[in-house]
Amino acid sequence: MKYVDEFRDPALGEVLAGEILGLVEAGRQYKFMEVCGGHTHSIYKYGIDDLLPANVELVHGPGCPVCVIPMGRVDDGIALAHQPGVIFTCFGDMLRVPGSEGTLLDAKAQGADVRMVYSPLDALRIAKANPDRVVVFFAIGFETTAPSTALTLKRAKAEGVGNFLCMCNHVTIVPPLRALLDSPDLRLDGFIGPGHVSTVVGVRPFEFIPAEYGKPISVAGFEPLDVLHAIHMILMQLKEGRCEVENQYARVVPYDGNPRALQVMSEVFELRPHFEWRGMGFISQSGLKLSEAYADMDAELRFEVPGIRVADPKACQCGEVLKGVIKPWECKVFGSGCTPERPIGTCMVSSEGACAAYYNYGRFAREREVV
Amino acid sequence: MKHLDSDAVDASIAACDLTTGCITCGDVAIPLTVLRLDEERGLALCADDDGNSETVEIELVAPVATGDRILVHAGTAIARLSEEASG
Repeated sequence: MKYVDEFRDPALGEVLAGEILGLVEAGRQYKFMEVCGGHTHSIYKYGIDDLLPANVELVHGPGCPVCVIPMGRVDDGIALAHQPGVIFTCFGDMLRVPGSEGTLLDAKAQGADVRMVYSPLDALRIAKANPDRVVVFFAIGFETTAPSTALTLKRAKAEGVGNFLCMCNHVTIVPPLRALLDSPDLRLDGFIGPGHVSTVVGVRPFEFIPAEYGKPISVAGFEPLDVLHAIHMILMQLKEGRCEVENQYARVVPYDGNPRALQVMSEVFELRPHFEWRGMGFISQSGLKLSEAYADMDAELRFEVPGIRVADPKACQCGEVLKGVIKPWECKVFGSGCTPERPIGTCMVSSEGACAAYYNYGRFAREREVV
Repeated sequence: MKHLDSDAVDASIAACDLTTGCITCGDVAIPLTVLRLDEERGLALCADDDGNSETVEIELVAPVATGDRILVHAGTAIARLSEEASG
């Protein structure tokens, strides 16, 4: 398949791995964070960490939107789903995320009309087909997904669809990165930047990372050679004493992102003063809500939701995993109490979650002999 | 749209499993080819390399033409793929 095969070429991968080996200094430890859950997925799926020298460690960042949803927000969603006359729509992964008293799938089993959709546009179609019901779309995701929600809300308004509402859980990528960089318990040498978020926001928003924190970053694509190439670029920066934002994924990511997407987002959304992140607490200006112009489509204003903050289960260490402080398998319940079939924490739910990705691809490889 | 029954939902979740990734949940986008345009509504029928088709919002990358390759996330095209890159 063109555009894919050349980025999965094993021979080229070996060449890159060899060059990476030549770039690392013996005796120095390198710790890079892949911000995005999509990268975590690729790293485990293709065994990229097995190709790296022993002193290059990849840690997983907070870039899986499902994983960072706190339990209280799931409870709020379930409360909306139980409202009479409501059809509650969400992406598939959200159905299995545990709230304090069960999941959306449990709510469905109890009689709530919960439906999985593949896009906000699907949810809008359900609203048009059911004019006597109220359809709530549980919007979740970083800047990659937010334009899709924004366009659909705009479309609903333009077409006069009055029964389409949104519970907005969209988040932005820069504030949690700042929070991580300010965190004293995490020492990082560089970042693999999120590829598809950057198609929307561009690479400019990441300039603060080298400028203010002195860490290199390479925005990367999702094929195995993309990720290896990004690691190579970061190591090259460190070797040459440079520190900047580089764009490994230039074939897709423009420097300024997608201005039309940014425009529609600014029209439909505004920043919340603060938003809770699982394991990271409240982060200022990190979440989006519907703007004044779209307030009549805000499900949280139309219906009453509990809005209660719920502490994560004590056994769950998703917070430390999301911050890259521990590896998935170092969590006490990994693979025993918490599995993809019966997750305790959100990192085990989503396909982009570090624990699920590791459980699925890497659990037998962690005691590997390192080159 | 048909209301999914529980089995269908479970089957869909299985399809959205841990080996393929879920295009809607994370920072994942897939390249699709434009098959047909509905310019008035800002939509396009697009297909992946396996022939699976879906309706896509194209406002963010318009104008597009039949045969163009676009990168789609959650039913919305977020970037155009260059001719060189998409073949």
